[in-house]
Amino acid sequence: MSASKRDFEGDATPVPAVGFHAQIDGASLWDLVQMECLGRMHAVVEVTGEGGTGYLYFDGGRVVHASTARARGVAAALEILDWTHGTYRASDRAWPSGPPTIDMTHEGLLLHAAQRRDERGASNLVAFPGRGERGAELDANVELAIEDVELTEIEDAGEVEMRNPNIEDKPTPPAPIGRSESATDFPVMLRLSAAGAVIRNRGGTEELAEAAAYAHRLVQLTGELLGFEGFVALECVFTQGRCLVFDEGEGDVVVLKPRPDLDLQALRERLGL
Amino acid sequence: MTGPVTTLADLGATLGTLKDVSGIMGSFVFSGGGQLVAREIPPMFDDGALSEASGRLARLRDTFAAVGDALDVAVVRFRDHKLYLKILGDGMLCIVAEGAVNMPALRMAANLVGRRISPALASGVLPAMPVPAASAVPAPAPETPSGATSRPAGWLPPGGRRFRGRVVE
Repeated sequence: MSASKRDFEGDATPVPAVGFHAQIDGASLWDLVQMECLGRMHAVVEVTGEGGTGYLYFDGGRVVHASTARARGVAAALEILDWTHGTYRASDRAWPSGPPTIDMTHEGLLLHAAQRRDERGASNLVAFPGRGERGAELDANVELAIEDVELTEIEDAGEVEMRNPNIEDKPTPPAPIGRSESATDFPVMLRLSAAGAVIRNRGGTEELAEAAAYAHRLVQLTGELLGFEGFVALECVFTQGRCLVFDEGEGDVVVLKPRPDLDLQALRERLGL
Repeated sequence: MTGPVTTLADLGATLGTLKDVSGIMGSFVFSGGGQLVAREIPPMFDDGALSEASGRLARLRDTFAAVGDALDVAVVRFRDHKLYLKILGDGMLCIVAEGAVNMPALRMAANLVGRRISPALASGVLPAMPVPAASAVPAPAPETPSGATSRPAGWLPPGGRRFRGRVVE
């Protein structure tokens, strides 16, 4: 798409003299950022959303700078990427002097944005069973919160999984598991931090968390021994039941135990299993 | 070759049949205790690394067993590779493959190989491979001024561990 103006809510635009004019209603901002980066555009884009107006500066397949009324750099980019509706258009704003204020890939930036959204919705840290009244209270919260549990927690309709279409045969982060299917399809869902802390839990036990954390480490070390980098996922088939362990976000480990008859093929494909 | 495996040569040949599946790089078999029994995999994977990997994968099974889950099969996905682990009685078969390997074909091949080698693993007729010297004595001991070595076999520095048969601190 060579678009001098890209609206994600459908503004009328003048037709450029050369190239295609595009109007995309309902596109997500994250899609548009990905397209810009994959096209390796050198461009400034003005984004107007519910939080005001901000600018994203693209160069060489990255977002290298961002600014809003309140912030610059990564903070500004994350603020903009949090907006869910608005317009997105090319801007003739001057390129900033000085070095880039953002030094990460666009995938990393989008993952940060997804994580922020996740963390904002994750007010319920989880107690395991048997921790007294406070634990029971938290468990009750878990039951309420489980409706919000998604793997990548990109919740808004129309948003897309963060996937690089240039990498066809590499495993990609799993797509969100829908709200209705999460709880019923995966009776056990655990999310562990990189340090092993249980961030979320449904149906799991401390013992399972410990086992999964250790198993995760064992397979990572096995990979290192064999010269294989980049652990992605582990699927275990037991004589009774199955278990998936995979990395997500910045070091989180997700553990899922699906119901016995659940077809895991789609999830397997996304994890490269 | 369709009968049960009875010798190490048979075992090697049987493991070799796995390479009929495109993307399978090789395989190795180890006991429930993590001792390497046989290998049919390029030499770039040295015995020391495979022995250590065997120990860790055996512990993977033990880990889940400790929480009541009896492991049958495990698939580990790395960025460019896969490991397929199949429990065979008291032993385990580990298949090393490229990421894009045909998984249904791999599973079928693993099942066939598993059936053939399970009896031999269960009977214990297949001895464990000798622990490679590099693993048993991981680092050359520095000489003392008098010329005598000062470190015993198996010595590891504080906090050190072995990586691919070598000591890392």
